[in-house]
Amino acid sequence: MSAKKKPEIDTILSALADPARRRAIEILGERPRRAGELADLLDLPAPAMSRHLKALKASGLVIESHPEIDARVRVYALNAPRLSELKDWLEKAEQLWSGQLSSFAAHIAKREIARGKAK
Amino acid sequence: MTSRVVVSIRVPCSPIQAFEVFTDEISEWWSDNELFRFTPRSPGKLAFEPPSDASHGRLVEQLPNGKIFEIGPIRVWHPGERLVVGWRQATFGPEHATEVEVRFEPVGSHTRVTVEHRGWDTVPQDHLARHTFPLTIFYQRQGEQWRAGLEHLRNKLSQD
Repeated sequence: MSAKKKPEIDTILSALADPARRRAIEILGERPRRAGELADLLDLPAPAMSRHLKALKASGLVIESHPEIDARVRVYALNAPRLSELKDWLEKAEQLWSGQLSSFAAHIAKREIARGKAK
Repeated sequence: MTSRVVVSIRVPCSPIQAFEVFTDEISEWWSDNELFRFTPRSPGKLAFEPPSDASHGRLVEQLPNGKIFEIGPIRVWHPGERLVVGWRQATFGPEHATEVEVRFEPVGSHTRVTVEHRGWDTVPQDHLARHTFPLTIFYQRQGEQWRAGLEHLRNKLSQD
């Protein structure tokens, strides 16, 4: 299955399916870091860290940049617009369930009234 | 941060009544939501098929063209207390089912109904493969740390 054909949120959530990658997002939420720092903080060997960073970059959740002082250094940071897509999905899911539960409660209320009348 | 949404509401009946209405009468109370259609042919009628000796049970949508779309298998079915069901929309990849847990807790003579919709970053991956086992405490803990960042999204609608 091509990554391009998947809905955006699908790519984001599957990138987050791994606990190490979720932890990396949390760490990057504090401030941008180099790959080596991330590997140390997550206690991961460099090749594993590099695989996770690749998945995170592919999802667009994390972006790579080079600081001006040293173009050889790669620094990873959160990509705010992508994170807000995730938030949008959550808000939509919340709206859905708020609406459905209200409708469920209204249905129960109707039944209660009907039962009251039947007495 | 997590892709987990928790919404609850209080209803004036017992937990077992609330459970029965929630499941048996879902086609009567479920309201169509354009943002959350299960398939391009939706809306149809939602129905719970409770677990039996022969099957684990499932939640389905009976589409207008007569076809049945399986939204997800039932993983926990404790009438009057709790149910957990897989949750997939047709656009999701097969490995990307989300999961919905519904809890029914007595509050005096009323019942608090809580829906927790877990995105697949919080659904255990082996869970998706096995389809039958309830969530373990271990996995719930794993999700704990993710709750903090989106605290404001949770329980906003709780009426308590």
